[in-house]
Amino acid sequence: MSHNPQSSDGKHDDDSTLSDFLASLMDYTPTIPDELVEQYLAKSGFQCPDVRLIRLVAVATQKFVAEVASDALQHCKARQDAVVKDKRDKQQRDKRLILTMDDLSKSLREYGVNVKHQEYFADSPSTGIDPASREE
Amino acid sequence: MKDGGLENKKELENSKKQSNSSKFRSKSDDFALSIAKVAVAQVCESIGFQSFQHSALETLSDVAARYIYTLGKTANFNANLAGRLESNVFDVIQGLEELESGLGFAGASDVNRCLANSGVVRDIVHFVGDAVDVPFAYDIPRFPVVKDRKGMGSFWEKGEEPHGEHIPSWLPAFPDPETYATQSTVGNGTMSGSNGVKTGLVRVEWKVERPLLNFQQQFARNGNVGDSSCGGGDSTKAKEASNSNPYLAAPLHFGEKEVDVSPVVLPTKLSNEVASRDPIPENRFLGNQVSVLETFATAIEAMKSGICEYDGSRQKNVLYNQRPTVHFKIGIGKKSLNSAPYFISKNKDLQKIAYWFENGNEKDDRKRRAEIFSKESMECSHESVKNE
Repeated sequence: MSHNPQSSDGKHDDDSTLSDFLASLMDYTPTIPDELVEQYLAKSGFQCPDVRLIRLVAVATQKFVAEVASDALQHCKARQDAVVKDKRDKQQRDKRLILTMDDLSKSLREYGVNVKHQEYFADSPSTGIDPASREE
Repeated sequence: MKDGGLENKKELENSKKQSNSSKFRSKSDDFALSIAKVAVAQVCESIGFQSFQHSALETLSDVAARYIYTLGKTANFNANLAGRLESNVFDVIQGLEELESGLGFAGASDVNRCLANSGVVRDIVHFVGDAVDVPFAYDIPRFPVVKDRKGMGSFWEKGEEPHGEHIPSWLPAFPDPETYATQSTVGNGTMSGSNGVKTGLVRVEWKVERPLLNFQQQFARNGNVGDSSCGGGDSTKAKEASNSNPYLAAPLHFGEKEVDVSPVVLPTKLSNEVASRDPIPENRFLGNQVSVLETFATAIEAMKSGICEYDGSRQKNVLYNQRPTVHFKIGIGKKSLNSAPYFISKNKDLQKIAYWFENGNEKDDRKRRAEIFSKESMECSHESVKNE
């Protein structure tokens, strides 16, 4: 019994938080444009006249991309730190931070997206096999 | 150890093509993908990256597009599951939870949790609070652009009556007769279809008009007598017609010569009515009895003046030529006179007649016609004299 008013108040709070948040979304302009989000949502069959939901999806996507990119950045920095051994620390640290396929695949792997590439391509099926077995 | 042989590459390409076609990426998606690339690049820049590999950027933008797509698909599925067509905020949050479940979010294990209080939403709130407001670099128009196609226009919209009861009025209207391919002035596209019907009507009208024609000719011959027993209005009409129109004049008797031939003046009524092409053939006959009369006055006159050496069809061609603006088909084939070699080889006069089809100048035609007519009638009379 005493539990109920609390939960009802909690629910109201949650609802109000959500509605406030959705209202505040209209002020914030996500980097991903609304038209793009609408295009892909329409393709998937998503139907909603409410603009706030589209903003919500746009913000969620931006968050996702930002997380992936930050993870890739972590990997990139970690690699750079590992490489630096000589006295030319600063020169190598000044190197530009480049989003490479390598880092990206590692970070996406955690999110369940497999974009692994071939490490190398060989000329024939017998490349890399021991010479003894190749003769056979 | 995998080898990157040619066979593998082909299989990879094939599988890629299949996967792409089965997935949402298509050729028309290029614009959206390029916009996604720009947006993702901006996000990466805000994170701290200074440059990127092209393949990495394409991959990440593709993943972002699929994220949006999957989110929309899941939200729509949840809405349909709840018996709704339009998605809710709770449908979207459920979709977000599903996508984030790989990494996990706060409160994921809580069975009785409220969706509004979801950890996913809280994360997003934090993100919005922390993130720097970086708007998109370009101004994008609304896409995809829906082409505004103007329909053909139904019968009902155009205000036209369909040609038959079997055609409902909501069907698109037929195109204008002017757009039909016309072969020559002899063969008119719109007329060819109802040729049989028209000739029948023509014949009927001819039979009906013949007594009236004879009556008018009698009047003309008698010297325009004012008072007569049969209808004053008709007589005055005949009088005026005979005064202005030589075709209503008394026909030449056998052996007579026509001394002076005045140029043929087309009555204004005839020229006006014929100028407006009526798609419904019946109207022309019913509302235009004078023209039929005058046309066949010529026929009767020609027959009486004895143009007998030519073929029946040739004769009809000459008669047809008298009224190039009236498009009757009296059993004439679709070929123009020019194309038929038989006619060209026949006579010098035929060349002139062929020339009439080409020339658009009416007055010259009429003068020439009148002259040639007199010539022919004279020749005929001479020949008939010779024969006798």
